[in-house]
Amino acid sequence: MTHDETANTPHHAPERHAAPMVEEVTDFEVLEIALRELAIEKGLFTAEDHRHYTEFVEQIGPAPGSRLVAKAWVDPDFKQLVLRDAIAASREVGIDWLHPTGFGTPSDFTALEVLENTPTLHHVIVCTLCSCYPRPLLGNSPEWYRTPNYRRRIVRWPRQVLGEFGLFLPDDVEIRVEDSNSKRRFLVLPVRPAGTDGWTEDQLAEIVTRDCMIGVALPKPGVTTNAPRPTHPAVRPAGAY
Amino acid sequence: MADHDDVTAVRIRTLENIVGRGQSWPRMAQKYGVANPVPPWKSSLDGICDALDHEGVTLPLLTRRSDEDRLVHEVYVTLPYPENQLVALTHSLVARNVIDEDTLARRMREVRARLEGA
Repeated sequence: MTHDETANTPHHAPERHAAPMVEEVTDFEVLEIALRELAIEKGLFTAEDHRHYTEFVEQIGPAPGSRLVAKAWVDPDFKQLVLRDAIAASREVGIDWLHPTGFGTPSDFTALEVLENTPTLHHVIVCTLCSCYPRPLLGNSPEWYRTPNYRRRIVRWPRQVLGEFGLFLPDDVEIRVEDSNSKRRFLVLPVRPAGTDGWTEDQLAEIVTRDCMIGVALPKPGVTTNAPRPTHPAVRPAGAY
Repeated sequence: MADHDDVTAVRIRTLENIVGRGQSWPRMAQKYGVANPVPPWKSSLDGICDALDHEGVTLPLLTRRSDEDRLVHEVYVTLPYPENQLVALTHSLVARNVIDEDTLARRMREVRARLEGA
């Protein structure tokens, strides 16, 4: 009997196991190590630098951003601080924007602005040049944010591209696209949705997903994760390639 | 090579061989029944990129990302993310004469022997 059959047999509760590993040394694993070792030997950076940055990217995520938005929704004074001095507001949710890694930043986080949506104004962020993103508050950017497809088209046809994310805004809602760069980062403060009266800050934080703070989605009661975008099999698949 | 030069014309056999062997994460994860959405070396690659960007001299951020955009869409089109990011970064460093291809190939053989001997 295989492990899977054992787990699915009636009257046998599934046992917990450590996640299985790929028991094969892959070329990409080897390449990453070789490249890193050569870069360190050439003095491009130190092993300690690398460890610090790797630790940084492993511990960041969208939770501080969600907290910041939820806090702004329930506390008008904090909302004013968010809009006036987003770096000071970030400290209230545990993010030292100017020194997010605690020892130096990979780029110059010199300016942060939170963009307030209204019922007639919607913001969405992009980095047309590369992939600048408010990482200390949102974590690593999603793969699609880095693609030329998104970067080039969101600035030209924002309404159409938002539609591709399933976000269809009425024509009377103005859309503003803010272009990030190494000196200036943005975060979207969505409109608090209907149906959340009396909610606590914790409850509200749960529905402020990453995509809501990029501006490609709106918060909704009951929606607490960025669901994976659906993929469909090709209608006419390419041949062997 | 200047920052704005196109690196896609440079052929790097070591990387072409890796692409040809097809050990990208979606395939390996499926083969071994692993559910992690990204390979285990992803955060280390992010660390390399951040460390390079922090120094900003050898491969400036915009050059690195511009090279990556071109290479991903014109050369390494069959690779998924983040394999394409790793290969593009390596391609940039080799094409711009920061890392020597023979040295890279030799080090890869050493690393593989070390990992397989562990």
